[in-house]
Amino acid sequence: MPRSLFRTLGSAVLVASLIAVAYAATPKETQHARHEHYEELGKAFKAIRDQSSAGSPDFAALQKNAEVVNEASVDQQQWFPKGTGPEAGKTRALPEIWTKPADFEAAQKMFSDRAPKLLAAVKAKDVDAVKAAFKETGGACKNCHDTFRGPEE
Amino acid sequence: MTDTVPPVSPARLPARVRVWDVPTRLVHWLVVALVAFSWWTAETGRMEWHRWSGYTLLGVVIFRIYWGLAGSSTARFGQFVHGPRVISSYLKGGWTAVPGHNPLGALSVIALLALLVTQATFGLFAVDVDGIESGPLSTYVSFETGRAAASWHEDIFDVLSALILLHVVAVLYYVLFRKEALIAAMLHGERAYSEPQPPPMQSASVVRLLLGVVLATALTWWVARAFQL
Repeated sequence: MPRSLFRTLGSAVLVASLIAVAYAATPKETQHARHEHYEELGKAFKAIRDQSSAGSPDFAALQKNAEVVNEASVDQQQWFPKGTGPEAGKTRALPEIWTKPADFEAAQKMFSDRAPKLLAAVKAKDVDAVKAAFKETGGACKNCHDTFRGPEE
Repeated sequence: MTDTVPPVSPARLPARVRVWDVPTRLVHWLVVALVAFSWWTAETGRMEWHRWSGYTLLGVVIFRIYWGLAGSSTARFGQFVHGPRVISSYLKGGWTAVPGHNPLGALSVIALLALLVTQATFGLFAVDVDGIESGPLSTYVSFETGRAAASWHEDIFDVLSALILLHVVAVLYYVLFRKEALIAAMLHGERAYSEPQPPPMQSASVVRLLLGVVLATALTWWVARAFQL
């Protein structure tokens, strides 16, 4: 009995790990997904800028994009697992992300602290506040990029 | 202004002729300064200043185009832009000097102006990779188009740099080997010509100048505001 239990458990573990391996993204896939995420974020930022500088802003569109930014500001804290730096393939993510984790987390937190203010300004339909919060949030992006993102090409 | 030059054997001195008016010289050196400043602000990520530098440069170029149509004689395209026949006769030495650009230098002026307009246009539509920094007209295009514009904006700067280098090398050739004081002329506006003395520059009126400044400023302001009044 214990022997067959062992076998059952053993095969269960095996199957589980096979599934885990099949579903876990490779470092390259993580890099690619990260790139896509940031491109979405860039588009959302552009949309917010376009709408907030338009004569009559579309607040529904503003809110949709501010929510994308707000969610990404939290999600991005999961976008940099170990092993997805330059060692895994072409990326602008610098090794400092993993060698200075405290600094990197602080930089990411600046983004997740500021993004909700942008969403709040959008919900309040205050265009000037949106513009100011956009600048603040963009500043958080730049702050992190200055240290943790390498140059293009 | 009164002539205070003492009368020393005028026959032996080459005549000093007015070649460039103040607006043309100012435009030239403003372009030099603004291209350098635009490059520096882009390299160091000072994008707010980069936009202002670009707007000013666009305004200066718009003014120069206006001045090429309505300005002083030596600034006018109709006066100095020639076809291939005149250019080749100039290269063979069969061209009588008149104050202003020579037929070959004219190509440099036209190419640089065209490239500056193109460069400014792509900058107006450009979007950075984060969607945070952008030109004012990018609001009319998609993120992808804005990124393409930014990429062209970078590539055209290389072409512009090459053309500027060619321009500087050509000017230095004239100064060093042909003893034509082109740089000095672009600074103080005059050149010495030996006999026969060419016809002097015809100045445009101050009213025309002011009209051009107002026109260029208004047009640039309108573009920078993404055509919203």
